[in-house]
Amino acid sequence: MTPPQASPAQTPSSTVSTQSAVAERLAEIVGERHVLSRQSELLVYNSDGLPGYRRQPKLAVFPGSGEEAVAVVRFLAKQGLPFVPRGAGTGLSGGALADDIVVIGLHRLKKIISLDVENRRATVEPGVVNLRLNKHVAPHGLLYAPDPSSEAACTIGGNVAENAGGPHCLKYGVTLNHVLAMTVILPSGEIVELGSKVGERDGYDLRGAFIGSEGCFGLALEITVKLTPKPQTVRTLLADFMSVDAAAHVTSAIIASGIVPAALEFMDGPTIRVVEDSIYAAGYPRDAEAILLIELDGLEAGVAADLETVRRVCLDGAARNVKVARDEAERMKLWQGRKKAFGAMGRLAPHLIVQDAVIPRTKLPEVLATIHAISEKYGVVVCNVFHAGDGNLHPNIAYSADDPAESERVHKAMIEIMRACIDAGGSITGEHGVGLDKMGYMEAIFSETSLNAMCELRSVFDPERRSNPGKVVPVHACKEWRAVSGGRLRIAEPPAEVHEPRPLEAEPARPSAR
Amino acid sequence: MSTQAVVSAVKESVETASPLRIEARATWLDAGRPVRAHKTLSLRDDSGVVGYVPGDLTLTVRAGTPLSEIEQVTREHDQWLPLDPYGTSDGTIGATLATASAGPLSASFGLPRDLLLGLEFVNGRGEVVRGGGKVVKNVAGFDLSRLLTGSWGTLGVITEVTLRLYALPKVDRTFAIALKGSEQETGRVIHVITESALSPYALQYFSRPAVRALELGEHPVCLIRFGGNDAVVRAQVNALSQIAKPEETESEIWTRVRQLDGSAHTVVRISSLPVQFRAASARILGDDVGGIYVSIDPRRGVLRIVVGGEDANGDSGTAAIGSSVDFHESQGVIFEKLPPDIWSAVSPSVVSDPLSQGIKRAYDPRNILNPGILGDLM
Ligand SMILES: Cc1cc2nc3c(=O)[nH]c(=O)nc-3n(C[C@H](O)[C@H](O)[C@H](O)COP(=O)(O)OP(=O)(O)OC[C@H]3O[C@@H](n4cnc5c(N)ncnc54)[C@H](O)[C@@H]3O)c2cc1C
Repeated sequence: MTPPQASPAQTPSSTVSTQSAVAERLAEIVGERHVLSRQSELLVYNSDGLPGYRRQPKLAVFPGSGEEAVAVVRFLAKQGLPFVPRGAGTGLSGGALADDIVVIGLHRLKKIISLDVENRRATVEPGVVNLRLNKHVAPHGLLYAPDPSSEAACTIGGNVAENAGGPHCLKYGVTLNHVLAMTVILPSGEIVELGSKVGERDGYDLRGAFIGSEGCFGLALEITVKLTPKPQTVRTLLADFMSVDAAAHVTSAIIASGIVPAALEFMDGPTIRVVEDSIYAAGYPRDAEAILLIELDGLEAGVAADLETVRRVCLDGAARNVKVARDEAERMKLWQGRKKAFGAMGRLAPHLIVQDAVIPRTKLPEVLATIHAISEKYGVVVCNVFHAGDGNLHPNIAYSADDPAESERVHKAMIEIMRACIDAGGSITGEHGVGLDKMGYMEAIFSETSLNAMCELRSVFDPERRSNPGKVVPVHACKEWRAVSGGRLRIAEPPAEVHEPRPLEAEPARPSAR
Repeated sequence: MSTQAVVSAVKESVETASPLRIEARATWLDAGRPVRAHKTLSLRDDSGVVGYVPGDLTLTVRAGTPLSEIEQVTREHDQWLPLDPYGTSDGTIGATLATASAGPLSASFGLPRDLLLGLEFVNGRGEVVRGGGKVVKNVAGFDLSRLLTGSWGTLGVITEVTLRLYALPKVDRTFAIALKGSEQETGRVIHVITESALSPYALQYFSRPAVRALELGEHPVCLIRFGGNDAVVRAQVNALSQIAKPEETESEIWTRVRQLDGSAHTVVRISSLPVQFRAASARILGDDVGGIYVSIDPRRGVLRIVVGGEDANGDSGTAAIGSSVDFHESQGVIFEKLPPDIWSAVSPSVVSDPLSQGIKRAYDPRNILNPGILGDLM
C-alpha cells in the first residue's frame, strides 16, 4: 500500500498512515471480523481461477451491506488508496488480483433485493451467486440466461464486470444483453445510476460502457437484470465424430442451416477421455475424436422439426452416432461432463493454462488444425473444450510447472495459438476478460489511438485510476497516464508474459446444467 | 469518402473552430434536432460492403450504407439484419446506430446495441478509433461500441460497423386481430396474448387513427408476426386462433408501420414497465383523435405517439398526448422528433450528468461534432 501523504493533524477524517491504522478504520466500518490483514489469512486471496498468477493483497475488507461498501470506498477515496473489487474469485484472467493493495470482497452482499415476476426482472446485490439467482426465479417459470460454467460459484457482480458468457449465450446473448440497470459506486465515492430499471433511456449508454469494465470503473452495488421465460421444450443431442475436422465442419453447417441452437459445445478426444476418467464421467464415447453437445429449445413443434434437421446435418457430416437425451437425468449427465471439464483436467497434471480466443466460425476447421500442429511441434497436449457455436475457443494445456523445459514449451505453444487466432481475424478474449493475463496481447488487436480512447473512458469513471489499477489496458498505452507515471499511486505494471504457474486448487465451482 | 477523408474534415474543423453537422442520407434521422454548425460532413458516399462471410453470419459495412442495400446483399444468402427502425430503408446503418433507432423487431432480436459487434469511428480530435471486433463474442477492452451507439454523433463520426446477422426464417407470416369488443374485452385479449407461450417476432397494438392510416379497418388492431420453421409458425397460428380471430395480412404491412411517422412533426416514445402498458393499453387504444397515432409494444414496454399525421385536424397535438398518457411511473419520455423551435424548450440536455459530460470532453474536446443535438453539453 502506498504510504499516504503525511498529514499533520490526525482528525478522524484525515489520512492515516500505517497499514494497521487503515485496517483499524476499515474495521470500524465493517467490524473487526471482516477485515483481514495477516499475510497468512490473505493467502486465499492471492489468486483467482487462473493458475499462473499470484499477487498478495495488503488487506482484505468484506462489507456486509451496501452502506458499508459505500463507506469503505469513501474512506479509501479520502485516503487516496487503490483497491480491487472481488466477487467469488473464479475469474480466469487474473482480474481480481490485488498487488499489495486493498481487496474489497463483495461475497457478503448476497441479497436478492426484489423479484418482479410480471415484468420479468430482478434486482440483486453483487455477491449473489449466479446459480442461486436461477434457483430463486425457477419456481416462477423464469431463468437468468447467462450461465457461465462456473455458475455455482461466480457472482452476478463478477459476471457484470467480465461481461460473462456461457454455453446458452449462443442463443440468449451474454451478460450485456441481460442487464438493465446498475447502481454503481464510483472510486470517488459518488453513487450513480446507470441504465434504467423501468424503461428505456436516451443519452449515452453508460450501462453498456460499465459492463465488461473488469472492476476498473468502480463497484456495481445493485444490479437489475432481465429474466427470460423458461422454454417450453428442451432437447439435448450428443453427436460423436472420428475426427476433429468433421465436428468443426458440422458446427459451421448447423449455424449455416439457420437454426440457432440454445447451445453448441465442442469437446475433443483428449478432453473426452479426461472427463470419462474423472468422477464426472458422462458416458461420452471414449474412442471418439470429438463430440458436439447440442441443445435446442423453444416451442415443442419447432424444436421437434429442428431436431430432425440437426440430426441430419450431423449424420451427413460423418457423425458416428447422434444420441438424444431421453430424460432430464440423462440430459443433466451430458451437461455435467461439459461443465466439469475444467475441473477434470486438474487430474492430468498439476498446472493448467486456459485460453479464451474467439475466431470467425468458418475458420474453426482451419484453426483447430493449426492448434493441433502447434501442439505436436512443442510436444504438448492441448485439450479443446469450448463454445463452438460462437467460435469461442478454450484451448487448455495441463502441465507441470516444476519442469522448466516443459513450462517453456507450453508457453511458447500458447503464444503461437493466440497468434493463430488473431491472424484468423479473431479476438483475444470472448468471455474471461483481459485482466492481467491478456494485457500483453491488447496492442496486437488495438491501435494506439483505440487503446488511448479506452484509457480516456476509464479516466472519466476513475480519474485517479485507483479501482483495479494495472489491468486491461497497458499503462504505457495511455498518453495522459504516461505523463504522470511515477505519481504517488502505486500501479503494478505486470510484464506482458508472466506465468508463475501453481497447482490447480480444489475446483472453485460446482456447476450443473440448467 | 473514406475514413481518411473524415479525419481530414474533422481536423480542419478543429483548426478553424467550425463545428460540423454530421449527416448521412438525411432521411428521417435528423428528426429536426438543432445543430449549431454551418458546415455539414456527409457520409452519404461512404457506403458499401467491406466484408461478408455468410457462414459467419457477420457483415462489415461502411457507415453510409443504406439499410436497403444491407437487406439486398444479405437476402441473397437467405440472411437478414433484423433491424427495422421507423422511417424507410433509405436510411443508413451508421445513422441507425448513432441514433439507436429501433422498430417492432427489437422486442425479439434486440436493440441496435445488441446487434453491433464492433465499429470504427473518428473522434473529435480526428483520431481513428476501433472498438469491439468482427467476431460474435468479444470482451477485449472497454466497450466503445455500446458507448457510441445512441450518442448521436457527439462522440465520434462512425465510419464502419460490423453486425450480427440472422438466417431468414423459412416462414414469415403476419396476422391482424381487430379488437372490436369493449375496452374490457380488448384488455382480456391483450392479457391472454401476453401470458401465452407464443413467441412472435413482432407484436404491436395500434389505435384507431393509426389503423385507418394503415388501411386495416376501423377498430384498434393487434399486429402479430411469426417466423421460424413451418411447424413452429403453424403451431403458433393455431394457438392464436384459440384466443382470437387472426386474419393473415401481407408482411408488407410492416413497411407501412415504419412509415406511419411520414409527415408527423412530433414523435414521442414513452417507455415503462411492460405491465403498466398492459393495464392501460385497452383504454389508450380506444382514443380517437385525428392525426394522432398510438402504437404499443407491450414486450419492449414502449408506447409511441405520432402527432401530425396526414389526417390531423388543427393543432390538437400536445393536449391529446396529455390526455391519453398517465403513466405515473414511466421514466423514459423520449422525444424522437419535435418541431425545430420546440426542441430547446423540452430537452435542455439528455446527457447532463458528470460522467456523460466527462466522456464528451474527452472524445470531442472542442465540441465540434453535432453541437446542440443532445442539448447543451458543455
Ligand atoms: C471452472 C470455471 C468455468 C468458467 N466458465 C466460464 C464461462 O463459461 N463463461 C464465462 O464468461 N466465464 C467463465 N469462467 C470465468 C469466471 O467464472 C467469470 O469471469 C465470472 O464472471 C467471475 O465472477 P467472480 O464473482 O468469480 O468474479 P471475480 O473473479 O471475483 O472477479 C472478476 C473481475 O470482476 C471484478 N468485480 C467483481 N465483482 C465486482 C463488482 N461488484 N463490481 C465491479 N467489479 C467487480 C473484479 O475486480 C475482477 O476484475 C469460468 C471459471 C471457472 C473457474
